[in-house]
Amino acid sequence: MKSKTSSFLLKVPSAAWVILLMMIVCTVFSDKYLTLGNIVNIIQQNAVLLIVALGATLVLLSEGIDLSLGSVLTLSGVNCVIVMLYLSKLGASNGLAMILGVLAGLLTGALMGALTGGLIAIGKLPPFIASLGTMGIGAALALVFTDSSAIYIDNPVYVFFGQKLDRFIHLSLLQYFSMPTFIAIVIFAIVWVILYHTSFGRYIIAIGGNEAGARLSGINTVYWKWMIYVLAGVLAAIGGIVLAARLQAADSSVGVGMEFDAIAAAILGGTSFVKGKGGIAGTILGVLVIGITRNGLNVVGIPSLWRPAITGSIIILAIVFEVVYSQWRERSK
Amino acid sequence: MSTENLSLKKLVPHSDAPWMSSIGRFVALIFVMILMTFLTRSPDQGFVFLNIDNLLNVVRNASILIIIGIGETIVLTAKDVDLSIGSIISLTGVVAAIMMNKMGLSIPVAILSGLIIGALLGLVNGLLITFVGLPPFIATYGMLWVLFGFAYLILQGAVVYGFPEAFRFMGNGRLFGIPMPIIVMAIVFVAAYLLLNHTTLGRRFFAAGANPEAAKMSGIKVNQTVIIAYVISGFLSALAGLVLIAYSNGADNIFGSSYLLPVMAVVVMGGTSLAGGQGSLTGTLIAALIMATINNGMNILAVPGTWQKLVVGTMIIGAVLLDLWIRKRK
Repeated sequence: MKSKTSSFLLKVPSAAWVILLMMIVCTVFSDKYLTLGNIVNIIQQNAVLLIVALGATLVLLSEGIDLSLGSVLTLSGVNCVIVMLYLSKLGASNGLAMILGVLAGLLTGALMGALTGGLIAIGKLPPFIASLGTMGIGAALALVFTDSSAIYIDNPVYVFFGQKLDRFIHLSLLQYFSMPTFIAIVIFAIVWVILYHTSFGRYIIAIGGNEAGARLSGINTVYWKWMIYVLAGVLAAIGGIVLAARLQAADSSVGVGMEFDAIAAAILGGTSFVKGKGGIAGTILGVLVIGITRNGLNVVGIPSLWRPAITGSIIILAIVFEVVYSQWRERSK
Repeated sequence: MSTENLSLKKLVPHSDAPWMSSIGRFVALIFVMILMTFLTRSPDQGFVFLNIDNLLNVVRNASILIIIGIGETIVLTAKDVDLSIGSIISLTGVVAAIMMNKMGLSIPVAILSGLIIGALLGLVNGLLITFVGLPPFIATYGMLWVLFGFAYLILQGAVVYGFPEAFRFMGNGRLFGIPMPIIVMAIVFVAAYLLLNHTTLGRRFFAAGANPEAAKMSGIKVNQTVIIAYVISGFLSALAGLVLIAYSNGADNIFGSSYLLPVMAVVVMGGTSLAGGQGSLTGTLIAALIMATINNGMNILAVPGTWQKLVVGTMIIGAVLLDLWIRKRK
C-alpha cells in the first residue's frame, strides 16, 4: 500500500527538484535573487534556448540526436544579417530588408536541417556522426561568411525582435515582456500543435517508439524522419535570428555549445533517448534548470572564471540525477 | 581462460580489417600524395611537398591524429564513441603546464599526472555510460564542455607558455633525426596493435562491439571492457595533449578542440565501423597520413583556415557515406 504523498512525489519531474534546490540555495546566498526583475530576466535570457531546445526535443523523441543545432543557429543568424545589410545597401526599405533577411535565415536553417536529416534518414548514417559533420560545415561556413568577426546591424524593424515590448507600446505590464519571450511562447504553441494535433506529430512519436513498427503500419518513416531534422533546423534558425536581433549583431561563435544546452534541457525535461518517451512541456523545465543555474551563479557572485566549470558540472549531475530518478520511478510503479 | 578464448574466437567476425582494404587505402594515400606534389609545385622552388623536412612535418602532424585516433578506434570497436577527446587533450595539457610552470614540480611528475588524469577522465566517461546508463554521445559530449570549463578555470582565463627544454624535447626534439612525436606514435601504435589483435582483452573489444548480448552470455564483462576502452582513449588523448604543448610551447583552454572532427574523420576513413565490432588500426594510420597530407597541401597553397575546416567537415560525411556504400556493395 502506498500513501498518497509518495505517489504524488513520484509524479514530480526531477527537473522540478533541481529548480527548487537551486532557487533555495540562491535565495539564501543573495537577497537580489528572488525578485520579479530577476525572474523576468531569467525568462527573457532563455527564450532563445527554449526555441532551440524544442527542436532538440523533437529529434530526441524520434531517437535521434542533432549536434549541429548550435552551428545552424550561428549560420542562420549570420546569413539573415548579411542578406539584410546587403539589401539595405541596395536601397531596400528597412521592412523589406527585414522580411527577406529573416526568410534567408529560415531557409539556411531548413537547408542545414535537410542536409543533416537527409544524411540520417536517406543515407542511414548514425545521427551523431552525420550531425557532427554538418556541425563542422555550419561552423566553418559561418566563419567564412563573417570573416571570423561580428557583423553589426541597426535595422530598427529587425532589432525590434530582440527588445522589450514597453519600448513601443506604453503599458506598464508590458515591461515584463520582451519580443524573444513572446516569440518563444508562440513557437512553443505551434510546436505543441504540431506534436500533439497533427499526423506529423504522431509519426514522430511512432518513429521514436518503434521505427520498424511504424514503417510496417504504412508510415513513410524515411520522409518524416527527414522532416524532423528540417523542423529542428528551422527552429534553430529562429533562435539564431532572434538572438542576432537581441545582440544587434551576428557573431561567428555565438552558438558554440548551444546544442549541448538544448539537448541537456530536453533530457532534463524528461525526454528519454530510448523509446520516444517524453514531451515538450518538460523541456520548459529543463530550460529553466539551465537558465536558473546560469543566472544563480551570476547573481550569487561566483567569479566568471568558475562559472563554465560549475555550470557544466551541475548540468551533468542534473542529467545523472534525472536518469537515475526515472529508473527508480520505473521500478516503483 | 581457454574456454573464454574459444568462445571469443567464435564471436569475433573480423579482427583487424582485411589487409586488402588497407591496400586500397594505401593506394588512396599515394594518389593524394602525388596530387599534392603536383598541386603545390612552384616554378622557383620546385616540388615543395617532396622536401624531406616537409614530409617529416606531414608525418609528425599525422602522429598526433594517430595517437588520439587509436584510442577512438578502440572505443568505436567496442560500440561506443568518445566525443570528449578535445577537452581531455586540453585539460591534461593545461594541468601538466601549470604543474611545471606555476607549481614548480618536476617534469616526470607533470607528465605522469597528465597521463593519470587523462585515464581517470576516461574512467569517468566509462562509468557515466555503463553504471549511470547515459548514451555514449551524451555523456562524452557533456564531458567535453565541462572539461573545457575546468581547463579555463585552472588557467585562470589566461594562457601558459614557455616550458623547460627537457619537456619540449618530447614535442620538438629528434632522435636519430626522427621527430619525437613520430617515435611516440610508433611505440603507441605497436603496443595498441599487439593489444587489439593478439590479446584476449583485444578480442573482448571486438566481441563486446559486435554483439554485446552474445558477449555477455559467453561470460565477457562487457561493462568492464567498455570502461577499459574509455580509459585507453583518455590516456592516449592526454599523451597527445602533452606532445602537442611540448611542440607548440604554449597552451590555452581550448587548444584541443580542433581535433575532434579530424580524428573522427580519420577513424571512419580508416574503416572502423560505427556499428561496432570492427576496427582497423592500420586503417586509422593510413587515413591520418591522408588527412595530414591534404592539410599540408592546403597550408602550402595558403588555403584559409576556415575553408580547411569546411573540407574536414565534408570529409567526415563523405568518408561515412563511402564506407556505407562499399559495405552495401559487398
